[in-house]
Amino acid sequence: MTNDDSRLDQLFQTYRASCPDPEPQPDFMPTLWQKIEARRSFGFAFELWARTVVTASAALCVLLLFLNFVSPSQSHALAPTYVDALMADHTAENTYYTEAIRSAPPSEQSPEQTPAPPH
Amino acid sequence: MLVETELIEKARGGDSSAFNQLVLAYRKRILGTISRLIGRPEDVEDVAQEVFVRLYYSLDQLRTAEVFEPWLYRLTVNAAYDYLRRSKRRRESRMADLSEQQVRMADSVAGGKQEGENQQKSRIREFMDALFRHVSEEDRLLLTLKEVEGLSLKELERIYRVNENALKVRLFRARQRVLKAYNAAVADGKL
Repeated sequence: MTNDDSRLDQLFQTYRASCPDPEPQPDFMPTLWQKIEARRSFGFAFELWARTVVTASAALCVLLLFLNFVSPSQSHALAPTYVDALMADHTAENTYYTEAIRSAPPSEQSPEQTPAPPH
Repeated sequence: MLVETELIEKARGGDSSAFNQLVLAYRKRILGTISRLIGRPEDVEDVAQEVFVRLYYSLDQLRTAEVFEPWLYRLTVNAAYDYLRRSKRRRESRMADLSEQQVRMADSVAGGKQEGENQQKSRIREFMDALFRHVSEEDRLLLTLKEVEGLSLKELERIYRVNENALKVRLFRARQRVLKAYNAAVADGKL
């Protein structure tokens, strides 16, 4: 152990001596029980609040679930519309390229580009 | 242990009188430990009462009466840690509002009110408090339990539920930081 270490140890011991075990105040126990009771009432209030919130959340979940089942047509109506829109978009794209090929006059088409007739 | 295991079992079962006896048996030891952990005599009772309130509400979670003491120490360390964190925030906000000169004046006025031995003790506590500011609150508590309270590594292992080697490493680093701050203070002539 170095000299520094032993001096630090001595300082720790001096610190211990400067903080002796304090004597409890006469009202230590009554104050403690007051704090316990206060925490108990706070705990009770918090429990009540938490139960109310949980019940309300559960009721809201049930309500939303119920609404979801009651109006199924809305979701059915949405799905085809979206798919239709996609299909329509896709079809438009195809049409554009197809039309471009079709709209070219036959004379401009080179022999290489002309597809071979099926046998 | 300072009490019989039967008394702990009774307190666990909700017996208020047994709990009262438990507090009476341990309060002086807990007050002493807290006073050295936080270094502020004016707040020791509040923190000790917080420990016993936590004890009251968590006693049913105690697995066996044999581990009661390390468990009580654990509650003590947690309450002291919470206090140190709170007081650090308070001190930072308070000090931010004061100029350096005002702080020095406040210190000298506070010092002037105390006399003789009390003044010396108060100075040592303040000096240690300043040294402990160079380590985290967790390390301060660990170092105090080991070096000031004299707890063994085995006891600390049971309180912290951490491997002994990890505790050794942490203690060594904390001690080195405090030692460095101590040497700097000695070099500056603050001691």
